[in-house]
Amino acid sequence: MMRGMIMISETNSFTEKFDLLGCIQCGRCTGGCPVTVRADLNVRRFVYDAYNEEKLDELARLAEIWDCTTCNTCAVRCPKGLKPLEVLLALRSMVVESGKVEPTVRDALQSVLLEGNPWEKPRAIRCDWMDGLDVKMAEPGVPVENLFFVCCTIAYDPRLQIIARNMVRILNKLDLDYGFIGTDETCCGSEVRTLGEEGLFEMLIEDNTELLNSFEAKRIVAFSPHCFSVFNTYYPDLKSEVIHYTQLFDELVGENKIPWRGELQKKVVYHDPCYLGKLSGVYDEPRSVLQKIPGVELLEFDRCRERSLCCEGSGGKMWVESHSKKERLAETRIKDARALGADIVAVSCPFCLLTLEDALKGLGFEEEMRVAEIMELLGEVVEE
Amino acid sequence: MKTFVCIKYVPDTSEAEVKVNPDGVTVDSSRFSFDINDADNYAVEESVLIKEARGGDITVASIGPKQSDVMIRMAMAKGCDQAIRVEDDRIAGHDPLIVARVLAGAIKGHECDLVLTGCMAGDDGHMATGAALAEELGFNHATMVKKLEILDGKVKAYRELEGGLMEVVELALPAVLTIQTGINEPRYAPIRGIREAQKKELKVVNLEDLGLDPNDVDAEASGVILEQLYIPEIESAAEFIEGEPDEKAEKLASILVKGGLV
Amino acid sequence: MMGNILVLAEHRQGSLREITFEMLAIAPQLSSDMGGEAVVLLIGSGVDEMAVKIASYGVKVLVIDDPLFEDFNGEKYQKVISAVIDDLKPSVVMTGHTAQGVDFMPPLAVEKRLPLVMEAIALEYTDGALKATRQLYSGKVNAIVAFKPADTYLVTIREGIAEAPEITTAGPVEKINTPLKEDLDYRKFVEYIEAEVGDVDITQSDILVAIGRGLKEDKNLPLIEELAKAVKADIAGSRAATDAGWISQDRQVGTSGKTVKPKLYIAMGISGAFQHVAGMKGAKTVVAINKDPEAPIFNVADYAIVEDMFKVVPKLTEKLKELKS
Ligand SMILES: Cc1cc2nc3c(=O)[nH]c(=O)nc-3n(C[C@H](O)[C@H](O)[C@H](O)COP(=O)(O)OP(=O)(O)OC[C@H]3O[C@@H](n4cnc5c(N)ncnc54)[C@H](O)[C@@H]3O)c2cc1C
Ligand code: SF4
Ligand code: SF4
Repeated sequence: MMRGMIMISETNSFTEKFDLLGCIQCGRCTGGCPVTVRADLNVRRFVYDAYNEEKLDELARLAEIWDCTTCNTCAVRCPKGLKPLEVLLALRSMVVESGKVEPTVRDALQSVLLEGNPWEKPRAIRCDWMDGLDVKMAEPGVPVENLFFVCCTIAYDPRLQIIARNMVRILNKLDLDYGFIGTDETCCGSEVRTLGEEGLFEMLIEDNTELLNSFEAKRIVAFSPHCFSVFNTYYPDLKSEVIHYTQLFDELVGENKIPWRGELQKKVVYHDPCYLGKLSGVYDEPRSVLQKIPGVELLEFDRCRERSLCCEGSGGKMWVESHSKKERLAETRIKDARALGADIVAVSCPFCLLTLEDALKGLGFEEEMRVAEIMELLGEVVEE
Repeated sequence: MKTFVCIKYVPDTSEAEVKVNPDGVTVDSSRFSFDINDADNYAVEESVLIKEARGGDITVASIGPKQSDVMIRMAMAKGCDQAIRVEDDRIAGHDPLIVARVLAGAIKGHECDLVLTGCMAGDDGHMATGAALAEELGFNHATMVKKLEILDGKVKAYRELEGGLMEVVELALPAVLTIQTGINEPRYAPIRGIREAQKKELKVVNLEDLGLDPNDVDAEASGVILEQLYIPEIESAAEFIEGEPDEKAEKLASILVKGGLV
Repeated sequence: MMGNILVLAEHRQGSLREITFEMLAIAPQLSSDMGGEAVVLLIGSGVDEMAVKIASYGVKVLVIDDPLFEDFNGEKYQKVISAVIDDLKPSVVMTGHTAQGVDFMPPLAVEKRLPLVMEAIALEYTDGALKATRQLYSGKVNAIVAFKPADTYLVTIREGIAEAPEITTAGPVEKINTPLKEDLDYRKFVEYIEAEVGDVDITQSDILVAIGRGLKEDKNLPLIEELAKAVKADIAGSRAATDAGWISQDRQVGTSGKTVKPKLYIAMGISGAFQHVAGMKGAKTVVAINKDPEAPIFNVADYAIVEDMFKVVPKLTEKLKELKS
């Protein structure tokens, strides 16, 4: 009996927690939601229905709660300041707590618990990307100016390791005080949160805060917008400031510290990652870095900055396939880039890189254009 | 239904390079990830499904190091009620008959209707422990079970044979079933559940605690000696196609077409 | 008898299984090294023909023929073999490492307190000691295991490690009485259920494109279907692919799936676990694409590509289409 009562008061808080009564059902959230063109998701409907706590179980069983990419558009657009997507994530949590998640989600979450990354890779090989490089390691208690936090996806995916490797090569060329964490580095929890595993997310916040605070870092430089955003939003006790690496490089190019060695005579269009742009308001720094690369002609998407189209790489979508056969948003994005005449679609997020590159290959445009992370481009034009 | 489920903590070597240690009889596991043995995970799920359908109580039994506690807590988060972990360096773990003897020591003296184990461990792959355990306990058994139905005092077990054929057998309980992967879809153990499971009893015991004579289960007691491990030579005469990914694809395509293979 | 090897014949639904003959390629030599001879034990009901067939390989066959043994029952086998060991005192009892062997050999070893080695891939008798080679970590490591001196050694033999020998002068067939007199009430055979038949029969396919866990997600399937279409192949896969639901059960290759003998087998993202290889090593040409250079699948491959399959397959499909048109 007691248990049941606790449950009810917990679900009651759905209404309070997400301020459901504040909703005026204007529909701006759904109106801006990018996945509506592909999936049945109507987020306004969930904000409305979740008010009825007896319906929550039924809502949690709907497949479309997994279609949300957590792009944050709905929250940005809501005139009442609600965060409609959080209702969906809370419903995902209910599924996670029951244990009946997709096997892919199960394995990713379990891997975060056991190995500190969602890719089912041993913790012991987290730093294999450093092989053959002279990497400075940070030490607990020893002051360091820039403490780098490598995202799990960049650390393990051979396609993305170049981002970290280029970073180290360039850092070694500059007179910059920096350090890397090593194999103790653990998933930031961004995707864990969006997959609805609240308990695991809380645990990661606790453990990571302790780990990161053990380094006397002036600031933490995150490779991925996801780690960057989640540290700034959900880690209240971090002692150090957290920035995205494009912000660091914006400083460096501003101070003329980058030893350019070549040019990139290309038309480059920059794709704003949701977690750097819409969630964190960092729009200018990546552009300014790109603009400083000798030879680059920077183009803009029609839908850019706050209105940037989501690539569908986040919100746990790496592990949950949507059943829609309609065109992927990433494909739309690549087609838009081609229509602009871009040679390169530049991104500053590992997930954007994977989804957009996949779309580009799927469309068969490899001959004419490519997708590249800003760090990859820098590696091509900076002295090492 | 009083159920015991026996699980093992094993390294995942599917993508890893395996190296033999200088001692010649162990492998270097420092770069592996460890988790519950695949088939055992299905056994845990099956035990929980049985409990959900018929009520009862599940005990996890495992032989392994402290690090494996996380695996045990996960099983508890899914619905297992208590656990016994045997930790003792003297156990001759290379011999499945010895392992079965120790597990029997952990189960004997408790009320028990059903024991589930995985049908095979991914590391040493004997496929012997469960069936040997049945004999130690004096229980009936069926191996490689891909489906089961609990009946009154009996269990109907569907054994998966070569060629996908199923052999259906009926066993009187108590019985040991060795569970084959694919019998169900194992659930996720959420962290809150794992935290909650910290309250459940996990007994860590050694041989003496189980009333076992170390002389019965040590390397001396085993009828076999693990003499040497080595990495087998790649025996094939495979032609490795080299180059950039695209080149590899092109070369392979022309080999297949020119050789009349497609 | 000192040095004798008792080989257990395996049969199901009226026919002998290949492993029986494979063991006849191993046991006679080994028993002569050990100073004895190989003897086959055949347990069943109405098995005269099988006995004659086995004897034609030049071995002595002991037959226990009784309606009690109409169908396989591990508990009954254990009881019978236990009694036969007491009676004949063989130095080795050898069975297949099969759904039958794994069901009764371990309990038999416990009952008689005899040493047991599972799934040997080689056996050697030197200087009075019997040693077995077996595999760990799904074939990535070999282990040499030595038996300590015992009256009888128990061993199960991996399927497919030897080929049936030539037929020679027939050996004698001798009936012996069943040590088991009545049926068991605690384990009963109920029935066999055939695997469901699907739309294609991969055992008849000329070309198979096989996928494993490396496929990662079902969204990658179209890539494979495209390749299969280009070369008119059927799609098959490992158990991991079946468990994930990417392919139906009847397309699983391996010990618990189908044994296939296509002209061409293209394995992608399959590690080559023994259970899988057992089902496809009869393929005439094997192509393996795997990103792990150590993957055992390369041991059975004729052409090997160490690479991420997703980097190879699209181009491969494209090129094949081009070359074939
Ligand atoms: C009694 C019993 C019966 C069994 N019967 C069968 C059976 O009939 N058939 C069967 O197949 N199995 C069977 N198994 C299971 C068998 O032991 C293996 O677990 C299974 O074959 C593994 O399947 P896999 O090779 O697809 O997966 P894994 O062993 O996980 O291998 C995946 C492979 O994919 C590679 N890979 C991953 N990503 C990529 C990529 N992007 N590009 C290229 N390569 C990649 C990895 O390097 C790895 O080698 C049985 C097991 C038991 C106990
Ligand atoms: S976060 Fe983005 S995808 Fe999710 S509901 Fe809001 S607008 Fe739609
Ligand atoms: S935008 Fe905000 S107020 Fe409008 S329907 Fe959505 S949640 Fe309600």
